[in-house]
Amino acid sequence: MNQDINIKKLRINCFRQSKVPGQFMLQMRVPGGFIDSSYLTVIEHIARTWGDGNFHFGTRQTFDITGIPYENVPAVNAYLEDYIKEVDAKLCQVDMDTVSHEPQEWNPKSGYPTIGARNITACIGNYHCICGNCNTYELARKIEPIIFPSHYHIKINIAGCPNDCNKAHLCDFGIIGVARMVYHPERCIGCGACARTCEKASTRVLKLNEDTGKIEKDACCCIGCGECVRACPTSAWTREPTKYYRVILGGRTGRQTPRTGKMFLNWATEDVILSVLSNWQKFSAWVMDYKPEYLHGGHLIDRAGYKKFKEIILDGVTLNPQCLVAEDIFWDETEYRSNFNVKPLTMHQAAGPAE
Amino acid sequence: MDYVLNTAQAEEVLRALKKDYCIYAPKRFPKEGRFSDTDIIRYDSVENVSEIVWDTKSDYPAKEVINPIQETILYFTEDEFRESKGPKKPILILARPCDINAQHIQAKIFSGNGGYEDFYYQRVRELVKFAMMECNGGDDTCFCVSMGTNRTDDYSLALKFSEEGVKVHVTDESFQFYFEGMPDTSYTPMFVEENELKVKIPDLSDKDVRRALKKHPMWKEFDGRCTSCGSCTVACSTCTCFTTRDVVYGDNPEVGERRRVTASCQVEGFDQMAGQKEMRSTPADRMRFKVLHKFYDYKARFGDSHMCVGCGRCTHRCPEMISISATVNKMNHAVEEIKAGMEQ
Repeated sequence: MNQDINIKKLRINCFRQSKVPGQFMLQMRVPGGFIDSSYLTVIEHIARTWGDGNFHFGTRQTFDITGIPYENVPAVNAYLEDYIKEVDAKLCQVDMDTVSHEPQEWNPKSGYPTIGARNITACIGNYHCICGNCNTYELARKIEPIIFPSHYHIKINIAGCPNDCNKAHLCDFGIIGVARMVYHPERCIGCGACARTCEKASTRVLKLNEDTGKIEKDACCCIGCGECVRACPTSAWTREPTKYYRVILGGRTGRQTPRTGKMFLNWATEDVILSVLSNWQKFSAWVMDYKPEYLHGGHLIDRAGYKKFKEIILDGVTLNPQCLVAEDIFWDETEYRSNFNVKPLTMHQAAGPAE
Repeated sequence: MDYVLNTAQAEEVLRALKKDYCIYAPKRFPKEGRFSDTDIIRYDSVENVSEIVWDTKSDYPAKEVINPIQETILYFTEDEFRESKGPKKPILILARPCDINAQHIQAKIFSGNGGYEDFYYQRVRELVKFAMMECNGGDDTCFCVSMGTNRTDDYSLALKFSEEGVKVHVTDESFQFYFEGMPDTSYTPMFVEENELKVKIPDLSDKDVRRALKKHPMWKEFDGRCTSCGSCTVACSTCTCFTTRDVVYGDNPEVGERRRVTASCQVEGFDQMAGQKEMRSTPADRMRFKVLHKFYDYKARFGDSHMCVGCGRCTHRCPEMISISATVNKMNHAVEEIKAGMEQ
């Protein structure tokens, strides 16, 4: 095999290098991991026509089509035009003629313009799930035009409830649907089902007061899962109609410093989530001196420091009155090599624009 | 007399009625359902006709108006007490025939049982008149026809709602006044004559059959399925069980109130006696008790009808998807099996 292929350019185009020389795997975006099943025929067509006939569920809920020879890439990209226009431009209202919020004309025959902002993953959420507190794919579709197309990297995972099946704790910006509960004491029969459920399945914040036959709540430790609502036989617990979200920041896997994310925002409304994310580009650009690198968002927070991140990311954001923000965050990384961060000063990464 | 009202006219009549009656009807409570972005339909006081949910069966029954989940019955101070005042204004409840028939059953239990009339039930019940909402057929959990509760003549008004407005049949002369000047029509209320779902109630008159049914393995299924949450009895149109609870105010045990709070035979501890003895200690035992109460005991005691009105709300509200009609059908099979065994 003797081919001259710019694999970095192909990677930005969402084609991943294969161990088989000259072959690539296409990663197609599916914002929120939810899409009309008719697109499965599109996948099949690409796989059979230009790939090796196989298909993999991407770990970030992309449609991954393996074994595409380099020479087939232009044909695949041309074929992707309809899919990208329907899914990103139409369904998610993405402006394809921008990159990182700057005008940049998209050639519809050229496939995906960037790989930086990764596919937004989501559990099925309240579209189906009895535990879900929010519609996860609708939220993903609202976020998609804010973060894509962009060369700045961000991994967003959306979980419909604090059970976090979709691992919001293991990505740059994890969003968890939470509910604020309303207690209607006049409908409460004091059966204690909510308190038992909260103890067994959640954070043990409810207690049946045997003297009054009513429920007492340790509201500050409530994680907003909604299990009490599900358990209640009388609708004495209901969810507030407004949807709220928790943001888990800076989680990641990786070779160097994997770590679980920590809570950044609690009880944020959708407007707050969207306006915070609209500052993501600005923050990333600032850290990297306006020169995007293949580096994920959590690392950028490490470089800048959480407080600088907070300053830029909350700039111009009007928080809803219920919203709480982490004053500081102390991540707990797995250090495969002890004192990983202790090194000569000259090896340290700088953050912010160059002088 | 019969009337046909458009939406504006219906609102006008409601406004006039509200001067003399508290009006209760099924109302939608958006996003208050068990699952996210699901609604609850339950009875509440209504201000406008547009609030009345007439095309979908309510999740909770009409009994909540007369026999609320929680009611303060008296207030006490040291050695004195006074009863709570209770409603004074007449009440008009918009209800389907199943819910109206259910009130006849509730009345038997509260006021036709043991030679004692329940004061707190009676004082509300006496203020109640029904506006019968013609049933559009309910849903796939309904089996009123099997239970004989599809018809009723206990109503002052019959109402047939549509997108355009409402047709009204007035049977109670005292209501004629509210419709003066409204366009008349000819309207005969219709009743559901057939449900998709049919339930056959087994004959349990033989004591040996009943004894064998109590021990039948069919009930064991519910140990694994039923969580004893009590959603079924709270949603039941006819269940009347309550507990009495004294709540003291602050740190002074001499001052407080006595409440009546709905109780459920399905919830653990319902039948706990001194010494912590429970008569029915498993979900299967509790389920069997409820089913036999609704489809045998009540009728054996009061004679005229079964306690279940076939509204299907218990099935609809069960978080474990236990269907009462499927359960009765299983009971039927068990009884056939028992009877066949006895004949051998």
